Amino acid sequence: MGKYIIKRVLQFIPVFLGVTLILFSLENIVPGDPIRLIAGDKKLDPVTENNLRASFHLIETNDDGTIKYDENGNTIETPMWERYFLYVGGLLHGDLGVSYQKSGQSVSSILADKYPYTVRLAIVAIIMEAVLGIGAGIVSALKRYSFWDIFVTFLSALFVSMPAFWLGMLLQLFFGVFLKDATGGAFYLPISGAGGPYAEFQDWMYYILPAFTLAAISMAYTARIMRSQLLEVMNQDYIRTAKAKGLSRKDVVIHHALKNALIPVVTYIGMDFGGLLAGAILTETVFNWPGVGYETYRAITQRDWPLVLGSVTVIVVVVMVINLVVDVSYAFLDPRIRFGAPKNER
Amino acid sequence: MAENTTQTSGAPKDENTLGIFSAKAAAAAVNAQTSSRTMWGDAWKRLKRNKLAVIGIIWIGIVIVVALTADLWVPGTLGNPTETDSATMAQNSRLAPSPDHPFGTDTLGRDVLCRVIYGSRISLAVGVLATAISTMLGLIMGALAAYYGGIWDTIIMRLADIFLAFPYTLFVIAMLAVIGPGIQNVFIAIGILGWPSIARVFRSAILTVKENDYVDAARAMGASDARIIARHIFPNSVAVIVVYATMNIGSAILTEAALSFLGMGVQAPNPSWGIMIQDGATYLATQPWLMIMPGLAILTTVLAFTLLGDGLRDALDVKMKDA
Amino acid sequence: MEDRFGGVSRRGFIKGGVAAAALAGLAGCGKNNSGSATSGGSSSDAGASTGGVLKYYINDPVAIDPYNTQESEGTQVAKCLFDSLTKYNYDTKELEPAAAESWESNDDATQWTFHIRKDCKFHNGDTVKAEDFKRAFERICDPTMKTPSDVAYHLDPVKGAKEMQAGEADEISGVTCPDDNTLVFELTTPMSEWPLVCAHQALVPVPKAARDDPDSFLVAPIGNGPFQMDGTWVSGQYINVKKFDGYYGTPAKLDAVNFSIQKDPDTAFKEFQAGNIDFCSVPSGRLGEVEQQYGTSDDGYTVTPKKQVLTGAEAATYWLICEMGDENLGKKEVRQALSLAINRQNICDTLFEGSRKPATSCFPPLIDDSPDSTWEYCDYNPDKAKEILDSAGYTADADGKRNLTVKLSYNSGGGHEDIMSIIQGDFEAIGVTVQQNSQEWATYLTALDGGGFQLARMGWIADYPNMDNFLYPNFYSTSSNNYGKYSNPEFDKLVEEARKVTDEDERKSEYREACKLLGEDMPVIPIMFYAHDHIGSERIQSLYYDPAGIAHLGEASVQA
Repeated sequence: MGKYIIKRVLQFIPVFLGVTLILFSLENIVPGDPIRLIAGDKKLDPVTENNLRASFHLIETNDDGTIKYDENGNTIETPMWERYFLYVGGLLHGDLGVSYQKSGQSVSSILADKYPYTVRLAIVAIIMEAVLGIGAGIVSALKRYSFWDIFVTFLSALFVSMPAFWLGMLLQLFFGVFLKDATGGAFYLPISGAGGPYAEFQDWMYYILPAFTLAAISMAYTARIMRSQLLEVMNQDYIRTAKAKGLSRKDVVIHHALKNALIPVVTYIGMDFGGLLAGAILTETVFNWPGVGYETYRAITQRDWPLVLGSVTVIVVVVMVINLVVDVSYAFLDPRIRFGAPKNER
Repeated sequence: MAENTTQTSGAPKDENTLGIFSAKAAAAAVNAQTSSRTMWGDAWKRLKRNKLAVIGIIWIGIVIVVALTADLWVPGTLGNPTETDSATMAQNSRLAPSPDHPFGTDTLGRDVLCRVIYGSRISLAVGVLATAISTMLGLIMGALAAYYGGIWDTIIMRLADIFLAFPYTLFVIAMLAVIGPGIQNVFIAIGILGWPSIARVFRSAILTVKENDYVDAARAMGASDARIIARHIFPNSVAVIVVYATMNIGSAILTEAALSFLGMGVQAPNPSWGIMIQDGATYLATQPWLMIMPGLAILTTVLAFTLLGDGLRDALDVKMKDA
Repeated sequence: MEDRFGGVSRRGFIKGGVAAAALAGLAGCGKNNSGSATSGGSSSDAGASTGGVLKYYINDPVAIDPYNTQESEGTQVAKCLFDSLTKYNYDTKELEPAAAESWESNDDATQWTFHIRKDCKFHNGDTVKAEDFKRAFERICDPTMKTPSDVAYHLDPVKGAKEMQAGEADEISGVTCPDDNTLVFELTTPMSEWPLVCAHQALVPVPKAARDDPDSFLVAPIGNGPFQMDGTWVSGQYINVKKFDGYYGTPAKLDAVNFSIQKDPDTAFKEFQAGNIDFCSVPSGRLGEVEQQYGTSDDGYTVTPKKQVLTGAEAATYWLICEMGDENLGKKEVRQALSLAINRQNICDTLFEGSRKPATSCFPPLIDDSPDSTWEYCDYNPDKAKEILDSAGYTADADGKRNLTVKLSYNSGGGHEDIMSIIQGDFEAIGVTVQQNSQEWATYLTALDGGGFQLARMGWIADYPNMDNFLYPNFYSTSSNNYGKYSNPEFDKLVEEARKVTDEDERKSEYREACKLLGEDMPVIPIMFYAHDHIGSERIQSLYYDPAGIAHLGEASVQA
């Protein structure tokens, strides 16, 4: 097991280097000059432009910080590999650089602002996903072919087939607009933002709609996995044996079936956390959520490469670590794995 | 445990694919197909019994027929999806649904139903072509990795890890920023980024099949690698690939809608369902049909593919982690 | 000069409004501080109510630290926190004192002396001295700032400013402080309008803290304005400012302003309807409906109860730049015909419910409303357009199609798609084939520099509210913003001449002459003049939102 973990951690390194290298080369292949973009449609004067480029190490400077010129009086572009090593070097010291487009703000301070919102939203979403998804899956499986089973099956197919941003807008329309009109303003939910000192609602209320929107698709999957796992487990020999022993259905389900059926579900939910962190762009856009997903999207459109690099690298590392933890705990939980499955099957 | 790590399962959930496939699933699928002809016949019988899947097939059929025949009857009845007339535009702007315009009209006075119908062409094209690209790429990469193993396997699978480590939506956006907007680029971007999942599935399937006696026999008889893959390995993995591809069409359509919603999809004035939702979002409270109608078009079409995919999965007895 | 279609919207995040800001800061600086502050005089009872919090929608700014305030969002916040030397009054069209109580120049306007008020204080209690201005200007020109400022060009006329920017000097030699209350500028060239430049929102004093702790200053600047920071800028969420009691001018009536950061006008408007925001822009297409519901402001710039929708004109023009080097668009006749084919009234009516006005020239009426500046080819006359094309050799075939294809280039998002689709329809109506080419803002800017765009959408919001600023930067042959590469020696000469004229009327008529020449050449096809499309809540007693798009929050009042 220890060997396995070390091996997995070692596998992080090429993935991590590959991800940063791809992101880094984006700056060179994506059209649109970020420094040109700083000025918008009004062009910068050459001195200002060079100062900006020098401040981001895009052109070479002398040791005293002044700009280096070649014999023709032109500035010298810093080679990409040199900037890459500079960047990775900085990364090891926790320095993620300075944003191109947010005047003077360091990437780490921007991310420190944004990440907590996304993480909190993802946590609320994962709780919704677990509670509602598992609950619906259990009901669906135990009352197979009943109205509730069909209802859950259909609803989960519906959620999976819906653009999440569209669902978000419908929720806004219903809970923010219609409900307010219908109740004469007595009850409705906040539809945008994350609260704050002058906000109308208590902060927690701002999580309801975006978290539900974010969780919707995964919730549907959780319900489906839960249902099929439970059905499968209920057919296993040891459950039949338990039933034959005369245990009540309730006992069988709670003490035997559920425990085993939950393992893949929990695995799925665990792995999904990374997906929720990374996948919140559309939800954050629709609900004006001040998180990292929208910020990264914005950074791509603004060619704010230091910010893109920083936020995606952090997402990737977090996701890799979570997956490792999930895999390892899965191995602990599932006896079939511990005692060795046939080769290549895992 | 340490012996069982040839495949890392440490990928983040991919927004695009409708499920995470495991080697186990692939193996199960392969084992289910010892006798291929009866398998397809039985599958078809089972599929026909699945009412939801049949509804899905019927709806997909309707959408395809409407999309293909639109030029024959839509311009005469509903008008042209991109044409505007500045003389009458102001009177025709954002009319409520009526017999003349069953889905109402948009800001520029164009019939919404007409645009939804033409939008189906874009969505179907993106869904099918993007899936075709990612499936082809995935099959090639998966085959290379599994069949040749060793350094090939390591490189390709690490590359897949790198691709899967990226947040999917952001990756597509970055990809589109590189190659520029436009419909061709949308399906190229979605297609290229979709290969790792299918590559993993196919690789696992091959690894399982490779151990089988008949492959050894074929090799002993001097069959070439390509022939072994094409004649023996591929047919035995078809079921998984079919299920995967069906579900992937739906998610490619959803991805296109999301990209259009973020303003990175097809070029105006071409109608795309995502663009229409984005346009209609402003009038959510006053003219909700502008945003609801194209949304329903996406919902029903993707739902049809989901139901069909579910049905195929059950019928072909392909096991996937997600259901 | 960035366009503003339907508010800042999706374009906001691509750092729009760079120049909106420039104008805003420069020209829109401050209504007078006396009691009847609002234009239109509709706030006679405004003085009665004080206190309360105003919630104001902005997009996330680029910077609120004045060394780099540029777009309208950052300018709006900085305007609350900082006062510059002078301020411009849009009603009287005159410059008024702010942090400086008076100023004078030498005879040839190369040396300007400002006398700074003795009672002007920073929010931290320090008195504002001349050196605080010098410090601020040097931060703007300092190439060693973490991110150097990109608005330093405003200081270009000052001696030594360019040297400091180039890293050749440690200070701006042309700014001196003979004593605490006297600030002297040495200019490299005569400039009678220098005090107008000094109204810019970047040219404000900063205390020593700005140098000592620049990282904190970036997110919580300390200024000399009517409001001070309440906490720090919470990116993507809010910026709160509260009334500053030590303010030298008329104290703010509001207790605080909560700048609510929203991603786009659609979201902001939803929040407005939910009652969470007091002031925002109206999404395009909703104006007529909200005007009925909330009432229209009398003067177009002041929100008062029941008259809450602002539709006042802005000094900005939306146009299509013609690429002069293009085989077809290089021909004057083609440009004229295309211009005649566009039904501008329809665009304004359908998409803006009449709030924006069809362009009749490159000059919006706020810059010049003389009939001499009207362009002949801004009419809607498709028949004449066809005639012109016929005689220029682009004859129509049996289907009415001509052998002429044009590419319409624009940046995606922001609602430009609808405008371009209408224009496409109009062009097709005279037999011209159209290809739309929308790109991301970042890519679009590069494409503008590179050419090959044929027709490119752009909005122009001037840095200075005068005619020169519409003509020189866009059409002078060597100007960097002359994207179409228009070059007409006769025009260049007319503008050069006009710049030298000191008599105002004479100068204006020279500029009109140049404008007329443009109207014949049509290097741009003007589409429409921008207008406000903003709304305030019923809580607002009085709020003046100037033509440059900056709300004068220091004089605003709400129902407490």
